[in-house]
Amino acid sequence: MQIRFTPEQDAWRQEVRDFLDAELPPEMGFDVEFDEDEALWEFSVAFTKKVGAKGWLGLNWPTEYGGLARPPIDRMIMSEEFEYREAPLCGSISWGLTAGSLLAGGTEEQKRYWLPQLGRLDLHAAEGLSEPGAGSDLASLKTTAYQDGSDWVVNGQKTYTTWGTHADCLFTAARTDPNSKRHHGITMFLIPYDLPGISMTPMMNLGGGQQNHTYLDNVRVPEEYMIGEVGGGWKMIMNAFYGGGIHAGHAYYERTFAEVLEHCRREKRRGRLLIEDPLVRQQLGQLALMLEQARMLTYESVSNYNNQIPPQFGGALGVVVSKEMRPRFFEMCQEIVGPLSQLKPNRFAPMGGQAEAWYRQSYANHAGGTSQVKRMVLATRGLGLPR
Amino acid sequence: MIDLEFSEQEVLLQRTAVEFFISECPLAKVRELEDSELGYAPQLWKKMADLDWVGLSLPEEDGGAEGSLLDLYVLYLELGRALVPTPHLTSSVIAGETLARVGSPEQRKLVSQIATGDLIVATALMESDGDYGPEAVQLSATPGDAGGYRLEGTKLLVPWAHVAGRLLVATRTGPGPDGTTLLLVDPSASGISLERLDNTAGYPLFAVVFDGAEVAADAVVGEVNRGWETLTPALDRATVLQCAEIVGAGEAVLEMSLDYAKEREQFGQAIGKFQAVQYLCSDIAIDLHLTSLLARQAAWRVDSALPYQRELALAKAQAAEASQLMVRQAHEVYAGHGFMLETDLQLYTRRAKHWQFNLGEASHHFEAAVDAL
Repeated sequence: MQIRFTPEQDAWRQEVRDFLDAELPPEMGFDVEFDEDEALWEFSVAFTKKVGAKGWLGLNWPTEYGGLARPPIDRMIMSEEFEYREAPLCGSISWGLTAGSLLAGGTEEQKRYWLPQLGRLDLHAAEGLSEPGAGSDLASLKTTAYQDGSDWVVNGQKTYTTWGTHADCLFTAARTDPNSKRHHGITMFLIPYDLPGISMTPMMNLGGGQQNHTYLDNVRVPEEYMIGEVGGGWKMIMNAFYGGGIHAGHAYYERTFAEVLEHCRREKRRGRLLIEDPLVRQQLGQLALMLEQARMLTYESVSNYNNQIPPQFGGALGVVVSKEMRPRFFEMCQEIVGPLSQLKPNRFAPMGGQAEAWYRQSYANHAGGTSQVKRMVLATRGLGLPR
Repeated sequence: MIDLEFSEQEVLLQRTAVEFFISECPLAKVRELEDSELGYAPQLWKKMADLDWVGLSLPEEDGGAEGSLLDLYVLYLELGRALVPTPHLTSSVIAGETLARVGSPEQRKLVSQIATGDLIVATALMESDGDYGPEAVQLSATPGDAGGYRLEGTKLLVPWAHVAGRLLVATRTGPGPDGTTLLLVDPSASGISLERLDNTAGYPLFAVVFDGAEVAADAVVGEVNRGWETLTPALDRATVLQCAEIVGAGEAVLEMSLDYAKEREQFGQAIGKFQAVQYLCSDIAIDLHLTSLLARQAAWRVDSALPYQRELALAKAQAAEASQLMVRQAHEVYAGHGFMLETDLQLYTRRAKHWQFNLGEASHHFEAAVDAL
């Protein structure tokens, strides 16, 4: 039992900090998922490409695919620093989901071709898995692809497409065996957006970002854009989550907590500083507890990896906690800040109106499936209860 | 290096403890002991001493095994799982470790008796306001006739006082913030009386009334007016162990709830197939697992002599809440069956109430955590 970083890991953390000091002015920290400002987006892309140029987007990947073959704890350390500064790293569908799928089930040739591009953000992929009728139940997807000569012809509709308007291609799944059911007969594609037959309509989200409906109407996709094996899509998606490495979501809570604490040390209510109010102190204690829970779950992932222990509870426990914690955490922040926390940025809004956005954005906690679905996994696979 | 697993030695100790308590302290025996005058089994206690567990964390020169807090942690997981009633926490950890660290040569002699299980020392902290901390210590120790102290006041929720050869009593000797002094007192001395306090857990808890009892000057443990500070390291370690006991017990509650959910059929299927019931079980698993992570972190920080106040406070806040959530959800799984005394769940339900409050409830530790920021 130990939780400490080696001198090499401390040096790596310092290297990450130095990079951020040089490349990320404090006022440029923002969440790229929830901002549609073009100038900010361009900054985010340029920033992310600098990270990619250092090989850090694929930090854990094997070197033959453009990675640096560093251990997961290094990626976690990097994530802690990036999250704490709200570094606007974009393209997680590229270097995370798409790369993760390739690493899980791509052919050798595909990995050598695609991964270096994804790791530099030379290729920006949009998320194209979800469908109007296939969300948490992704295996019910209806988009089809059939072979015609050396092309695949894809038809269907995708939804929630994140970064559709900014991306070069759509990372998507289609049913390639018309007689297949559920998770069989699904194949992955990386479809270039400039092919005829793809169109989009915007879906604005509660967080302030744009997602999209995507329509695939007889899109002829050359076979080199198929990923993995025909019919091997489901396994890839299920095993995809290593691409981005171990994410240190707790560091974002840590930053938020520091900001709320700072607010409480500065602002007064009923004649005393908020930090001296016993009720506020209880609420801060609860925030600190959630933060610590999140941190320990991240560290447990690192520990399990080091000890080659498969995650307990069907791998679902940490996901359930993090999904359910997010709205609770930010709701508690707003309770502390008080009624003015509902104000968007203006001269009366506390903390520059940040708390208002936290609340809306906290409901972006359903990517990859709802906590309820993960609880079913926890209960059946993790605890052995009957299906 | 981030490694949250127990060492081989700790795993081995835990395995030994699992087997030992399965054979030596089944729940039938726990029920029997709860109704007994003593409340614990001296033979079992003696066997635990022979295994070096009673003095597990005490110095080798006092007959202890000088184990780490993580060693104690795995033992407490099993004490919790099996609901073993022992005076270990108050006697070996709080009193024993304190006496070993700051006791006079004369007081140090008692430590070896604690390690062998021959002497039980009960720690008396709480008073009528129910608070946990130095401010709540109001029992007065004023200069006595023979150069010692004269004690006036009442201690509440004193565990195992009826079998204690000595009491370690926190007394008020000066103004705050500490101003307390620890006195080692023979409970059979005149002017001291015990009253058993029936309670939810069936735990041996007592009111100890001091009515002008006189103690000698050499009864002082550590420094005068710095009693709470003297006791704090041991109280902190005991707090980690209280978390471990909750985790171990919670694992048992989870296991029995899962078994029941798989066996019990209603509406033509095992109730564990209903998502509503699956949710209850996953709630228990989640809260316990988080408690385990936080408590292990706290134990490791204490062992490593790193600052630990925030981590410890958050661990006990979490554990206190988990102690209640786990039984609340388990009672939903068991429904009416869990309300019957014949069902073992209630043994855990009742003890969980003691653990929730013991060494500070959640609100106390949320405050302590914020204080440590």
